[in-house]
Amino acid sequence: MKKIIAVVRREFVERVRTKAFVISTVMLPVFIVLMAVLPGLMMSGTDRTSRVAMVDASGIDLGQPVREAMLAEKLSDKPDARPRYSVQVFPASTAELASVRDGLIGKTGFSKNKQQDTWDGVMVLTADTLASGKLEYYGGNVGAVQSMSQLQRTVSNALATVRLGKSGVDAALVKKAMAAADMDTTKVSDGKLTGQSGKDSFLIAYFMGFILYISILLYGQQTMTSVIEEKTSRIMEVLTSSLTPFQMLLGKVLGVGLAGLTQMAIWGGSVFVVSSKGAEIGSMLGMGADAVQQSPIPSMPPGLLVVFLLYFALGFLLYGALYAAIGAMCNTIQETQQYAIFVTVFIIVGFFSVFSLIKDPTGGLGVTMSYIPFFAPFTMPVRWSMSSVPPLELALSLGLMVVTLLACVWLAARIYRTGILMYGKKPSWGELWRWIRA
Amino acid sequence: MSAASVRVESVTKRFSGHTAVNNLSMEVASGGIYGLLGPNGAGKSTTIRLIMGILEPDQGRVVLFGSDHGSRKLSQRIGYLPEERGLYKKMKVLDHLIFLGETKGISRTDSRRRAHNWLERLGVSDWALKKVEDLSKGMQQKVQFAGALLHEPELVILDEPFSGLDPVNAQVMKDIVVAIAAEGRTVLFSTHVMEQAERMCDRIAIIARGEMVVSGTVAQVKEDFGGRHVALGFTHDKQRAEAILADRSLIAHLDDYGASAELQMAEGADPEQLLAALVREGVGLRRFEVVEPSLHAIFIAKVGADVAVAPARAGAAA
Repeated sequence: MKKIIAVVRREFVERVRTKAFVISTVMLPVFIVLMAVLPGLMMSGTDRTSRVAMVDASGIDLGQPVREAMLAEKLSDKPDARPRYSVQVFPASTAELASVRDGLIGKTGFSKNKQQDTWDGVMVLTADTLASGKLEYYGGNVGAVQSMSQLQRTVSNALATVRLGKSGVDAALVKKAMAAADMDTTKVSDGKLTGQSGKDSFLIAYFMGFILYISILLYGQQTMTSVIEEKTSRIMEVLTSSLTPFQMLLGKVLGVGLAGLTQMAIWGGSVFVVSSKGAEIGSMLGMGADAVQQSPIPSMPPGLLVVFLLYFALGFLLYGALYAAIGAMCNTIQETQQYAIFVTVFIIVGFFSVFSLIKDPTGGLGVTMSYIPFFAPFTMPVRWSMSSVPPLELALSLGLMVVTLLACVWLAARIYRTGILMYGKKPSWGELWRWIRA
Repeated sequence: MSAASVRVESVTKRFSGHTAVNNLSMEVASGGIYGLLGPNGAGKSTTIRLIMGILEPDQGRVVLFGSDHGSRKLSQRIGYLPEERGLYKKMKVLDHLIFLGETKGISRTDSRRRAHNWLERLGVSDWALKKVEDLSKGMQQKVQFAGALLHEPELVILDEPFSGLDPVNAQVMKDIVVAIAAEGRTVLFSTHVMEQAERMCDRIAIIARGEMVVSGTVAQVKEDFGGRHVALGFTHDKQRAEAILADRSLIAHLDDYGASAELQMAEGADPEQLLAALVREGVGLRRFEVVEPSLHAIFIAKVGADVAVAPARAGAAA
């Protein structure tokens, strides 16, 4: 046992110390945070009142109702929230329009500390605006898609109110009638609310399937490579004189797996933190609450994180043991390819079954796949995130995995035992069978 | 004396198409230095791998410390330096030694302390935190040597320990091997450098083609070999000696080194006859000495003919 721990530690420490590991581990969370923060920053990013100069050339004082509608908008839902806009109306005739507008534009779009900085944007209402709905807006923030669509919504509501008012509809009634529909989607699991939105579970499922695929493939093949390295560096002979093949195999697979699990936990954990504490992180980075809601990172429930890590661990051990056995059979990386393909095909099939599962989480194919131990590591976490999985079914899937895992480790240990000291030619299938039976 | 450290009982090992070790028996008593000699391809490494349990014998058995549990169970009592040196290239030297200690069942702290001691003893302390791949070949070999001895095993098995070392480092290693034997521990090493074996070993075994040729204490082997041997050193006019040296009625076997020669007298021939003949021909002599046969001479005489036909070793035995 002490010896296995020594092997596990060596594998783990030597792997975690490499630059490649550190960089890949750190880069993904950074990427996730950027994903969460950047679109928010780029798309809305307003947490201060926008100063709008309104050139009113409508001739019917259209500026007033539009201004009132804009002043009613707040930056957030809180009662003490600051208004979203401050608006000053500049009445003008159609003839004066261009000169007034250009004069105002001359004071727009400077950075905050500049003396000329007076306006954030200039809105132009023409005689045609009420009828056609056409108006112009000039500003430094027109690229902020979120802000612009919000402004457009406010103005169109104001225009609609004025139009309806002209037709004799009571203003209060109009306001009631214009209240927007606001639909929230929430996933239901076992008759309970999970707090996850439909879009979220799709994103999570997709992301998870991908990460599981990449990491099991990557870490599985690392196990294979490292066995080959031990064979070519001939350290194997020293090791076999002190360790049993089973100790070597188990120590190696556990060590590599632990390094992988560490990386997964850091990645999964950072998604979890970013999604559940997104608002805090956002405000730390000086983002408005508005911007944070824009974050594309879905929330990850803790239960899912556990299922995800559990299946990664089991899946890796299963595939890691098989890859290690292949490494033991061969002498060079090139040689391994012809055997490794058999294992890799399983991983690829498992990954692609994730797509059918995403399309139909309760469909027969996906559900069946989540019981087959070689595919379960990819399909079950996805199934869990997309639909509710009864505990009994989860236990069955886990149980089958553990049984298969033990069988594969036994098989791999038999091959490993003979293979690690074989140099020279590759074994034939017949010889392989003899190794296993011996 | 306690049970023999190593007892090999009629062991045979075949690789596809050829027999690497054929019905070989040997016994390494505990204590002292035991040399396993033989030409390339004689089956030395295969024998050592069989002893280490890395290979399973096709027939016969290997008994270590009087038990046939195999070397892995007893690995704490055995240190092993394989012929093919191998270390994890990316690991730091100190970490590597600690790891090797741990695989022998030593605690981590203890292992660290011993690793430091050994690095100091071998004069490579400055390299403790360097990666193995940054070390020269000779230094890597020293590190692996330390790794094999870290757990202070009572039986040390070294496969060609001095090959590839410069004279200074070979000397350091030799001193350590001698010190181990002086502590009452057992050293079994293989070599094809006879001079070394002759000076260091208490007992030797010469094997060729996987079979035992001769074994016993060095003195015994020499005595059994018998015959009278003469060592010659020439100064000038060596060509004048050629006819005499070719005379089979006088000389049974000649080992010519150019400026010197070692020879075995023919049955019934006398060294004085030889000396008289050489002087008569005017051969310039620097040395003329009746000597014990060197192991080298015995080796050549016993297996010399085999060397040329030693089978190429199969890949699996390499």
